[in-house]
Amino acid sequence: MILLKECIMAFIGTVAFALLFSVPKQYFPWCGAIGAAGWLVYRLILPMGNRMAAAFLATVLVIILSRLIAVRKRCPVTIFMVAGLFPLVPGVGIYWTIYELVMENMEGALIRGTAALQDAIAIVLGIIFVFELPQKLFSIARSRKQ
Amino acid sequence: MTFLQKKFSRQKKQNPAPSLPEKPVFRGHGARDQDVCDLALYAGHVLLESGAELFRVEDTIHRILHAYGIYSENAFVLSNGIFLTAGSEREGAYARVQHIPIASSHLDRVAAVNQLSREISEGKHTVYEARSILEQIRLMPEKKKWQKILCSAIGSGSFCVLFGGATRDALTAFIVGGLLYLLLLFPLNRPMSKIVLNILSGSFVAGCAVLLWKLGLGQNLDTIIGGSIIPLVPGLAFTIGIRDLGNGDYISGSVRMLDALLVIFSVALGVGVMISIIHALTGGMI
Repeated sequence: MILLKECIMAFIGTVAFALLFSVPKQYFPWCGAIGAAGWLVYRLILPMGNRMAAAFLATVLVIILSRLIAVRKRCPVTIFMVAGLFPLVPGVGIYWTIYELVMENMEGALIRGTAALQDAIAIVLGIIFVFELPQKLFSIARSRKQ
Repeated sequence: MTFLQKKFSRQKKQNPAPSLPEKPVFRGHGARDQDVCDLALYAGHVLLESGAELFRVEDTIHRILHAYGIYSENAFVLSNGIFLTAGSEREGAYARVQHIPIASSHLDRVAAVNQLSREISEGKHTVYEARSILEQIRLMPEKKKWQKILCSAIGSGSFCVLFGGATRDALTAFIVGGLLYLLLLFPLNRPMSKIVLNILSGSFVAGCAVLLWKLGLGQNLDTIIGGSIIPLVPGLAFTIGIRDLGNGDYISGSVRMLDALLVIFSVALGVGVMISIIHALTGGMI
């Protein structure tokens, strides 16, 4: 139930930021769906204990979906990727780290900082690996769908 | 024929001769090489300032020039500048350096230029038509201010829930996120350092959040502030920076990552300073 609520919120939040990045209107539902899917995977795997695995797999899913839809809609993958990754990007994690540092709570800073760094590394690896997949894979997906 | 020779000849047969460049598409009457290069440079300009990845900029310039039959091109793109030269025995000499300040992100323009370069490759536009389309793309309307404020508010509220906030917290973040964007849209009479601007924004968010929290609107101050600063988080710079790094564009990638980190550091600093001040003023009430 909480998961469902969070997914809906991830959908809404992603769409809101898609608008702030001036994504064309017709792509809003896709951006939202990708963002929600990424967040769902992240939250499903996170309780299993491995933070990096969760962030990595969520990123992989987001990028694969982004590339599929980009090929299908014939538009830059950037649109879906940026919006879809927004819930996963550890911006707030880094913020919390610096905030704890300013407040002289070193233990908190270490915990938050490690988590943010793990997320960041996993996302970097996810993005780089999925973009190494050949474009052909994704083009085949399009011709089957049409 | 020896065995080696046989093998060699067979290999030659398997590898077809390198394909000759395709026939260039129609440029339009009176369009010189220089006009084509200007067009490609302009397309790259629009892409780069709208927040596209480097390889996309290079690829688009390359694609447009090749479509119009210029093969001697050399483009070097940085995160805030394009260097483009062309020229050979058959093609006119061309060299331009263009500085492109980073503007706000406009993914719709990236999509439109992408579509345009596709159509140019298919031969649908002359050079002048393409130029006027690009100028139209550059004039694409911004989203309305109230839409941006509303979206900032909605984004803050929904991300507050993702960070574990209750409904009351989300409502507070909704209000603070909206107020924050109102502040950001406020026209400054002179350009301000990005660092200072973000420190001030962070302080503003913290101040508003504490005020509303004191009034009894939210429960958890941490999640409220976490949700409210989301509109300031440089998610685009971070993601594009990673892609640039992944493609080997280290200079641009590290510039973008540094930009993203600097922004988030300043915001956190602003929040921290504001909370400390309030802490000192109220004698440790929060």
